[in-house]
Amino acid sequence: MTAGRLAALSLGICVITIAVYSMLLGVPAVRNHPEGYVAAFAIAATVAGLGLALRRRWYGWTALGVSMLLLTLGSYVNFVLARIPDAPMVLRVGEPAPPFTLRDAAGRPVSLTDYRGQKPVLLVFYRGYW
Amino acid sequence: MAELQGLGAALSDAERAGIEVVAVSPDENAQSQRLADGLRVGYRFVADPDLAVTRRYGLIHRGGGPGGRDVPRPATVLLDRDGVVRWVSLSDNYQVRPDPRDVVRAVRAL
Repeated sequence: MTAGRLAALSLGICVITIAVYSMLLGVPAVRNHPEGYVAAFAIAATVAGLGLALRRRWYGWTALGVSMLLLTLGSYVNFVLARIPDAPMVLRVGEPAPPFTLRDAAGRPVSLTDYRGQKPVLLVFYRGYW
Repeated sequence: MAELQGLGAALSDAERAGIEVVAVSPDENAQSQRLADGLRVGYRFVADPDLAVTRRYGLIHRGGGPGGRDVPRPATVLLDRDGVVRWVSLSDNYQVRPDPRDVVRAVRAL
């Protein structure tokens, strides 16, 4: 493969990785393996490096620069930013959940005791609209 | 939200009717509620603006928000009819959420 094609392949891997990850965030197999995008950027950087080994041209350096930048950013997000430090576990399986009353968007109170003896409850704690 | 949509799709109509999904976040939840209504799934979105309940549940990501604010750590907790904790899913990476299939399995095991 020529140096130009390797550079194009490297940039292509970067673009496809970003597109696939952002479009398929709703698919658990994609969302739950964020290390996948880090690995893909590492492959892109390796391919760019191979191209540069063949011929040292501006497009090779561009591909290497872009893929290394994405690899650094992706590694930082996945291994540093997204990491949640260990915290003491409060909830214990087999013990009653702490009771609470919170309000919904319409201001109506929702209380855990509303469901006692009625229905199982699935509590989903999340950060906001995403 | 993405994991809530996946969950709605993974549960049967009867299962959705037999369980209450209560989604807790610090935000005003009007937008989330509209989206869930559009999907015709019966989720209740409730706001915990000062994170008091989230803190009581031990589900805080300390300093994980913008400007070092505390934010909830993504977590899913299944309570049985008597309000007893039966299944907990916690992640150590906020990009990772429970697979809806695991949640469905826990619901069916009640």
